[in-house]
Amino acid sequence: MVSMHDLPPGKRVSGYFAQKAQVLKASIFLTRKLFFADPQWVIPNIIAPFVFTMVAFFLFQGQTSGSSFLLYLVLGSGLMGMWGTTIYASANSIGFDRWNGTMEATLAAPVPLSWIALGRVLFNTLQGVLNAVFILVIGLAWFRVGFSLVNPAAFFLASVATFLSLSSFGLLLTTVLLLSRKGGFITNSMEIPVYIATGTMFPIILLPIVYLPFAFMLAPTWGIEAIRIAALPGYVGLPTTYWEDMVIMAAETFAYLGLAFFLFKRVEAYAKRIGTLEEY
Amino acid sequence: MQVLEQKPTDAESREWAVWVKGLTREYTTRNFFGGVTRSTWALSGIDFQIAYGELFGLIGPNGAGKTTTIKILTTLLTPTGGDALILGLDVRKDLYEIRRRIGIVFGGERGLYNRVSAVDNLRYFSDLYGVDPGVARKRIPQLLEVVGLAGREKERVEKYSRGMKQRLHIAKALVHDPELIFLDEPTIGLDPAGARDIRNMVRDLKAQGKTILLTTHYMFEAEELCQRVGVISKGKIVALDTPSELKNMVRDISVIDLKTYGATMDYVEALRALPIVVRVVADLESEQQSIRIQTPLGADLLPKVVAALPEGAKIIDRTIKEPTLEDAYLRLVEE
Repeated sequence: MVSMHDLPPGKRVSGYFAQKAQVLKASIFLTRKLFFADPQWVIPNIIAPFVFTMVAFFLFQGQTSGSSFLLYLVLGSGLMGMWGTTIYASANSIGFDRWNGTMEATLAAPVPLSWIALGRVLFNTLQGVLNAVFILVIGLAWFRVGFSLVNPAAFFLASVATFLSLSSFGLLLTTVLLLSRKGGFITNSMEIPVYIATGTMFPIILLPIVYLPFAFMLAPTWGIEAIRIAALPGYVGLPTTYWEDMVIMAAETFAYLGLAFFLFKRVEAYAKRIGTLEEY
Repeated sequence: MQVLEQKPTDAESREWAVWVKGLTREYTTRNFFGGVTRSTWALSGIDFQIAYGELFGLIGPNGAGKTTTIKILTTLLTPTGGDALILGLDVRKDLYEIRRRIGIVFGGERGLYNRVSAVDNLRYFSDLYGVDPGVARKRIPQLLEVVGLAGREKERVEKYSRGMKQRLHIAKALVHDPELIFLDEPTIGLDPAGARDIRNMVRDLKAQGKTILLTTHYMFEAEELCQRVGVISKGKIVALDTPSELKNMVRDISVIDLKTYGATMDYVEALRALPIVVRVVADLESEQQSIRIQTPLGADLLPKVVAALPEGAKIIDRTIKEPTLEDAYLRLVEE
């Protein structure tokens, strides 16, 4: 029989990066466990993408001019799926703790809340990637979309960069939603405008000019452009090159990250001041 | 024990695990335009110290300021005024270092991820607290054994009873081997056996040399476990001493404990109206009614108590007792 006296001392990990990596790992691990513990994960990750793809294909079926247009749709649908999952899950990544009653325990941990949230957002965006892959598979298998990429390496790089930019955007949104108990309302109201403004389904150049500044401030806009340039032969979109898109996306991603970490500090200070952040 | 009147030097602060002076906290409600519509002082300047290895109790009625105090000391809430040092560290500046060295047990259902297992919960919090993974691999199974959850550690927490969840809370608070442990009403809502298990664990922690701050509603628990007790009422510490010294405050009275049937509020009021009765506390809602009468007369009061009984009511049992911490507490919080 083990007693309290037999417990080994709680030796700690040393080093800044090792500590942060441990927090990220823990956060990703727990989010994955909680995600699969809820059988409803099938709805946003299997059923919804399937419906997205179907609607997109049947809408544009008569207007297609070759397999590259179908691939355009598949990529657009995939990014819609990624964005939908990111905004929904990221918004709830910390909000979940509020209604689960674990907000206090999370806030009491000896690490900045931003690192815990980052782990959760990374996992949520990753499942958005799986969502996009699933859409691609439906497109390839069901609609016989050709999948010959112009530059596979550039496509892969742009996809990874877009994944990271979506994660940073999700992290930024988490701070806003942390402060508001009306998180669901904000989430729902953000989803469709971003689909439109980032050009997932049609080129943003078709949008009224007043919307363009908003579109250009969204890093995924540039990510989608870079992905399409790398994937589609003869793609004509914004008057920027692949690398210009990547640089702008990287700059905006770092800006989101910087702003998110700054806001997290403010949110934590605010939470300590008001003392009601854990209330649902 | 010497009580410091001002912020201690580094050397002095090393003598105290917890040092609190003039701590205040105001909650404000603001309107849409940011103007203050209501202001409430949850703490109005409290002072106390806890020595290393001491088991200190904080008792008080609901809304007295116990949870606010714990939240400030665990760095979850910023104080409006005053100073608080935890293990020599400032609660305003040294948040993460304090959090690494303390453990918190929240009472009730809060603070656990119910959809995953006990092991997953402990692994998660162990990583958040930076415990070396190699140490955690040994420590977590042993902790689960210590708290009596070995064999059920892979079940989802949502399937656990209230008592099992509370034992998991204790394991969670100990996962990083803290020096100071805050127990916020750890036995609330537990059955007698579950509560006894938790109290035994608290004793073990004390025996291991941990410093403990315990808040509780149960006076016998504070009397049984704590070396010193602070009584908090309306945001102020109204008494702070050992349980036996606190009881001395009410040595002048005896307590008549009645178990009754069919007693009414009119009867309770009639007892209160008796000139030699200090205080009457009644619970008439429970299946077995209980009435507690504090009086300097002791057994001599009984004929008057019986005479005042309404028709149809009965005294099932009666006991004359020495005053307990509860009697001292009632006097303190009602004054």
